[in-house]
Amino acid sequence: MTAPAPAPAHRSLRGRTRAASHTDNAARPGALYAVPAMLVFGVFALVPLLLVCWLSFTTWNGLGDPRWTGLANWQDLLTDPGLLHSLRITAVLTLAGWAVQTPLALLLGVWAAGTQRGRALASALVFLPLLLSGAATALVWKALLDPNFGLARTIGPWIGVPSGNMLGTSGGALLAIIAVGAWQFVPFHMLMYQAAARNVPAHLYEAATIDGAGRVRQFWSITLPQLRNTVVTSSTLMIVGSMTTFETILILTDGGPGAATQSMPFRMYQQAFKSFEMGPASALATVLVLFGTALSLLIVRFSGFSRMRSTLEGI
Amino acid sequence: MTATEIRPAHSRRRFLTGIGAAGIGAAVTGCSALSPGSGDDSRGLDVWTLTDPVQNKIQRAALTRLRRSHSSRAKLTPFPNTGYTQKLRIAMGTSDGPDVFWSWGGESLRPYHEAGLVVDLADRFGSDTRWRDAFLPAALQAACVDDREPLGLPVRGMQPVILFCNQTLFDEHDLRPPRTWDELLDVVDAFVDADVIPVSLAGAESWCELMWLECITGRLTGTGPLRKIFAGERGSWRHPAIEEALDRIQKLVRRGAFGQAFGSVSYGSGGATAIFAKGRAAMHLMGSWEYSNLRNDHRRFTEDGLSWVSFPTVPGGTGDPRALVGNNTNYLSVNTRSADIDAGVGLVGTQLAARPFIDALIKAGDVPAAVGIEGRLRELAPDPDFALYVYRVVSDAPDFTLSWDQAMLPAVKEAMLSSLQQIFLEKLSPRQFVDAMELIQ
Amino acid sequence: MATAPAPAPGQTRTPSEPGPGRMSGGSPQRTAGRRPLLSRANIPGGAASLIWLAIVLVPLWCMLTWSVQNRDGFLDNGPLSLPRELTPENLQTVLEGGFTNAFVNTAIVTVVSVALTLVCAVPAAYAVVRSTSRFVAGAFSVFLLGLAIPAQAVIIPVYLMIVRMGLYDTKAAIILPTVAFGLPFAVLILAGSLRDVPAENYEAMTLDGAGPLRTLWSLVIPMSRGSIVAVGIYSALQAWNGFLFPLILTQSEEQQILTLNLWNFQTEYGVNIPGLMTAVLLSAAPVFIAYVLARRWIVAGLAGLGGK
Repeated sequence: MTAPAPAPAHRSLRGRTRAASHTDNAARPGALYAVPAMLVFGVFALVPLLLVCWLSFTTWNGLGDPRWTGLANWQDLLTDPGLLHSLRITAVLTLAGWAVQTPLALLLGVWAAGTQRGRALASALVFLPLLLSGAATALVWKALLDPNFGLARTIGPWIGVPSGNMLGTSGGALLAIIAVGAWQFVPFHMLMYQAAARNVPAHLYEAATIDGAGRVRQFWSITLPQLRNTVVTSSTLMIVGSMTTFETILILTDGGPGAATQSMPFRMYQQAFKSFEMGPASALATVLVLFGTALSLLIVRFSGFSRMRSTLEGI
Repeated sequence: MTATEIRPAHSRRRFLTGIGAAGIGAAVTGCSALSPGSGDDSRGLDVWTLTDPVQNKIQRAALTRLRRSHSSRAKLTPFPNTGYTQKLRIAMGTSDGPDVFWSWGGESLRPYHEAGLVVDLADRFGSDTRWRDAFLPAALQAACVDDREPLGLPVRGMQPVILFCNQTLFDEHDLRPPRTWDELLDVVDAFVDADVIPVSLAGAESWCELMWLECITGRLTGTGPLRKIFAGERGSWRHPAIEEALDRIQKLVRRGAFGQAFGSVSYGSGGATAIFAKGRAAMHLMGSWEYSNLRNDHRRFTEDGLSWVSFPTVPGGTGDPRALVGNNTNYLSVNTRSADIDAGVGLVGTQLAARPFIDALIKAGDVPAAVGIEGRLRELAPDPDFALYVYRVVSDAPDFTLSWDQAMLPAVKEAMLSSLQQIFLEKLSPRQFVDAMELIQ
Repeated sequence: MATAPAPAPGQTRTPSEPGPGRMSGGSPQRTAGRRPLLSRANIPGGAASLIWLAIVLVPLWCMLTWSVQNRDGFLDNGPLSLPRELTPENLQTVLEGGFTNAFVNTAIVTVVSVALTLVCAVPAAYAVVRSTSRFVAGAFSVFLLGLAIPAQAVIIPVYLMIVRMGLYDTKAAIILPTVAFGLPFAVLILAGSLRDVPAENYEAMTLDGAGPLRTLWSLVIPMSRGSIVAVGIYSALQAWNGFLFPLILTQSEEQQILTLNLWNFQTEYGVNIPGLMTAVLLSAAPVFIAYVLARRWIVAGLAGLGGK
């Protein structure tokens, strides 16, 4: 299966349309084929998205029915210093998560794509954390970070925390969440990079070697550009993943110490299912949805996905 | 994790594992936990409770007796502790909620009372007050929402907060458990010098830190100011006792009373209990359920090296030194939407004070809230010394304040718990704490 | 490339669903012309790998050694020491705690979620790539917008809906929203791989007298097998990891999911860290076995996600 010389993606919309209607006489699937997906997505994703907006204008404590209260929740939310705080925490978790995981995954993935001895075994071992669920990972790390009986006591002195008090300080708790996220997800992304790096044509490197380019330069000028698509997909998953970190926070720090690790999803959960203030929690959730939508738009615009969509519209 | 979610679970499960020392016992009871509610009748009274093989067995026996006296069928639906509050909230919002439900009193009962979902027992029993006179008044306190007659009756033992001491360490260093604040400070200094953590504190879970605030405030001033705080009155946090208590806490932190790493110590994973029992920390402020945890997990220490005292008095304090805080007990209440309110009231109003039920609780290690059971405690309790101690302090207590986190609106509680953690980390000053809480009130 | 069948043992270096679609050359050239990176030692990569390996292995080592000790042994020995005495008591505690039931529930939820995702997403992706319907085009745009919306954000309305629909405390309550929020990504990946199938292949099918349904069955599915595996594995991971939906939408022990079972284990048997480690290991065991048995598929499948 060879791709046609001018890849469909690069054709203009109109050209593609004509090509489709005139030269392609294949039987086409009707809209029916998209109906099951649309139905599930519509009922359990779109309807809730609309409902959450509506709920943000109501008061509801879980008993009885939601009661319309207009803009009250939104006024409270926008004057709540906690919102800004949780936004900041979420931003830190997301950015730091990405900034820690991407270079690690890239480095490890490219390494694992090579031919070194022991590489296969090493990459199989590195893969292991992925087998644990997020909850399991967080529970294990919580035990590991116990300052009296866990690893924290042994390792603390090496990393400048002689008392092993890692979860007990604001910065430490945040770092712990980022680190646990990396421990858990780097293998996954590493694998994506590993596969992509193997598909970089060898002749590119050969040519570069002849030109006298060193290893580092080859990485920047060949490997990285060739992995561009993978970087986009991996980053998308990472950003969405870190932004929505939930059980790690719930289990590892429960939002603490103080409010140091209260990200937006955590805060929403707390308001909704610990304080039973569904209205304010829904307002917060709506903000989360808005962020998610904006992020989707960004991804679609700056990735190959948008090309896919234009192809489609052309059909 | 909130206090509400964790505390009772510990005493329950821990006790179970202890009983099943032979292993077989644990296997049998453990299996019964796998199939909650199965085997019982399909229709009839639905009684919601927390999963706990030992307690569930005692509760089922009470339901069986109810069937004899009221010819009403009833089934027990046990839930795991985690998320019970949410599940109850959801079910009570629908028409097929439980007929009889378990709560911690205080704020875990109030919303249902306000929604008209809790049967008024006083109303049902009229002028006959035996139903409530059978219990110690202090233990009923948390079920008396807005100073009304109790809206539920005790289904478990009483769990006041107690200062546990590692007597072995105290003896080694020639010290004695503190009775006053100054003695506490001396003891703290002595242990710090001896490189022992004076107080085991699970700072990762702020409800453990809250006990310090509760106890110090209780010694400084009576319950008056607290009532205003719980009622959400403006300015109520500005009572000087709050700020002073917070200040004393921060002074303890600076003295090293809780060690250097308390912020990472958690109660849920057993860290705080273990450093105390393993001799790395000398004192441990915790609810009385901790006794069964210690007994099951660290038996030798509990038998040879454990002692306990009430919280020390604080100089200048006007609070009664006999006053207690903690979990008064757990309650069963009746849902007004129940199809068979009579049977529910029968269960709560008569079976919970019945002798077989109380005796079964005592044998399971609980200290029931019933009046006049000292003799039976001495005879039946697995550890009569401790059981009698708990029973007496509660009987003598002029006041038994429900843990603050269970007496407040959930939103206020979450804010308080997270601000309190910052007090212990010295990220907030007492004044800032008060300001922050006032903002929320 | 997507036509590659299950990777044969000798082919492990070339996953069935490799990288960027636009580089798809003919298969024969690919195997010949593409070798892994330079064989020269990658020193920074190697060093990083060694360090990372330690970071990964030390916690796993702790889990393993802690899980075979009793509580006192664990508390008295250091965290890194070898266990002095082995005990099966933790295993017993875990199995008594509803583990088996939770495991079966999780397996059911995972399998049904994956099946439902694929049943919905494969035809949808086919329609997205080949249909002329405006509805489909619109639907795809909506899917794209849902790409990064966190499922957690709608937990409140989902909970309201599930309660009102009478689905509360059922497996469907977990499965349906999980699938719904996994669909955008699934459709996207599948559509991406179908896009690479040349139009001529579809025409050939039509010339053979095949309608859309047969085309789906004998062209689309075989052609996107690699992506189907990738999407299947990804949604399996999502379902296996699910926490918030089960936490809020189920209540009883009969419906309990593994992640919640572990969490409850911690709150109910708090002090028992070795028991917790045993439970965690046990929960990972089936995935580990699946991983060992189907490692190539899984690795190739996961790797395929990076393609588009």
